[in-house]
Amino acid sequence: MGHLVTSVAPLPLQGGGLGRFIDPFAQFLTDITNLEPVLLQLIAFGLLLGGVYALTALGLTMIFGVMDVINFAHGIFLVVGMYSVWLVSETAGISPFLGIPIAAAVLFALGVVVHILTVEPIIEAPQQNQLIATLGVLFIIQSAIEIVFTPDPQQVELSLGSVQVGDVFIPLGQFYALVIALGTMLAVRAFLNRTDLGRKIRGTADNRDGARYVGINVRRINYLTFGIGAALAGVAGGSIALFQRFDPFTGETYLINAFVIVILGGLGSFPGAFVGGLIVGMIQVFGGYYLPGTTAQVLIFLLFIGTLLVKPEGLFGGAEA
Amino acid sequence: MSAIESVRDRYRTFDDQRYAPLVKGVGLFGLLAALPTIIEIDVAGMELAALLSLKVLILTVIYAYTAQAWNIMSGYTGQFSFGHAAFFGVGAYATQALVVDFAVNPWVGMLVGGVIAAGYGLVIGALSFRFNLQGHYFALATLAFAELLRFVVTNMSELRGANGYFKPFPRDYGAEYGLVAFQFQNDLPYYYLIVGFLLVVTLVSWVIKNSWVGLYFFAIREDERAAASVGVPSFRYKLIGVAVSAFFTALGGAYWSMYFNTIRPDTVFALFKNVELLLPAVVGGPGTLLGPIVGSFIVTPVSEIARTTFSDINGLDRIIYGAFLVAIVIYSPRGVVSWPSQARALWTRVRGDEEVSE
Repeated sequence: MGHLVTSVAPLPLQGGGLGRFIDPFAQFLTDITNLEPVLLQLIAFGLLLGGVYALTALGLTMIFGVMDVINFAHGIFLVVGMYSVWLVSETAGISPFLGIPIAAAVLFALGVVVHILTVEPIIEAPQQNQLIATLGVLFIIQSAIEIVFTPDPQQVELSLGSVQVGDVFIPLGQFYALVIALGTMLAVRAFLNRTDLGRKIRGTADNRDGARYVGINVRRINYLTFGIGAALAGVAGGSIALFQRFDPFTGETYLINAFVIVILGGLGSFPGAFVGGLIVGMIQVFGGYYLPGTTAQVLIFLLFIGTLLVKPEGLFGGAEA
Repeated sequence: MSAIESVRDRYRTFDDQRYAPLVKGVGLFGLLAALPTIIEIDVAGMELAALLSLKVLILTVIYAYTAQAWNIMSGYTGQFSFGHAAFFGVGAYATQALVVDFAVNPWVGMLVGGVIAAGYGLVIGALSFRFNLQGHYFALATLAFAELLRFVVTNMSELRGANGYFKPFPRDYGAEYGLVAFQFQNDLPYYYLIVGFLLVVTLVSWVIKNSWVGLYFFAIREDERAAASVGVPSFRYKLIGVAVSAFFTALGGAYWSMYFNTIRPDTVFALFKNVELLLPAVVGGPGTLLGPIVGSFIVTPVSEIARTTFSDINGLDRIIYGAFLVAIVIYSPRGVVSWPSQARALWTRVRGDEEVSE
């Protein structure tokens, strides 16, 4: 890690002129031509972060794909997942790893309740109505967490350390989070492809009216999907809690990036979410290293806008559904 | 004929007159102008001012103003913008940056901010409408354009990065206190100024609504393809809506920066700001003239009073805000101003047969 911090000083904020845009890219190209070992380290970090990002987008893309609802509460669902894992390990002394399935169960219940109270009544209304309603849910849950647990950052006590593979350091907390992310993605994929319920969900995503005609209980599919989407947010939040401090507002950045990933990968597309997650993770890690301040986030938004404009159906989306 | 009916008939006759909007407008803005005095009236040993300070009134009118500006675009044309913080922040930053770094009069800075914001709005609109973004996609795109500015400004040392600006004392830019300097020593002139802003934007909004431009806007909102097929140039008119709305929203941001003195990227471009700017219009009734004003007088004081009354419970005001959001979109998507007509409809349905026999 020491190597990482000292080798290239990040450009200071006051570096003016066009140089601040060109220099980082010049530096990046020099590092590539010199095959700097730091690149390998950055790729490793990018993979670790990207996997977790993909997991944060999974529930969002599922709800988006099946119900055509932008769930703004997804970010706060992640935070509820973080606090669940923290609470379980803090008060009951249960391993944080066991806390993750508990978080998933808590979030499934919360998701179903939120859906029945706020989304289901207006599922046929204009699209921005669900957006506003889920945003209201975000504010309510966020403030409730703030009141109960204070706005101070919390941390799961878990010192896993890191392993060294060649020149590359891998922090184990993030590594386990990646493993959980991959495992969850495979499990969800199997669930959607192999089980009866999964097929019904996919059918509803393809054609809501058609699903109704062949006798699928679309209402039931709706709240199950919302619950599963929330549970996935619980798993994602729980995994993030393994390696990061969090507060009631941590969800916002993850939420915005999850939107980027969902649009980037294409609505409802699971491979899309995975690839989108990796792209955003890589930009954040590489951008954080080469670019000053939080400029990496600017790149992510430019990519987001570009994708929205040129290919709103996303990299893995087919023709307009 | 009962007394209620005769009152109703007389109101209808009044409502048909050409001068009716003028009378209503004068009444409404007369009430707004009188509010600072009204809240200080002593009723049975209690002043309304104890609850509703002048500061809260100013904040309320600011949000009424921005919601009215948002309404011109999103309420009238139906293109739901979720990124008006972009325009608000541009206005705030242009004004402060010009005042602090170049000693330019804030009124000039405000107009510059308005023009830049309108330009940014045209870029957003031209790109989004050209690629036919709709619904969710348009909302997310506008949000992305706002968030983009937040991070760009945060990383620009020329605009003081994350620290933002602090309005200096007037002697630093060589002007006295007063209207020309956009600088007052107490809150009352600030209040009348923002009421004046609201009057201007409401007038503009009224003129648009009652002209063929407004007719085109509403046609686009109701059915864009049908409107296009009868020859409404929808692309051009949506752009007009964005530009006008962005311009006025930026003026609101400029006012905000002069009244609150400090601005930071995380306050004027915040994710939450996008919501605050549009919520009064949604609560009051999108697409109506009165909606944004009524909505703001419901939402802002309640949330402010909650914030000050329960100041030891941080975040309670946001719970109230959230509950408003959920309740309004579920139970009254057409807003508070639709309640009287809905109540009337209900009333006629209750006495249904009597109405038919008339």
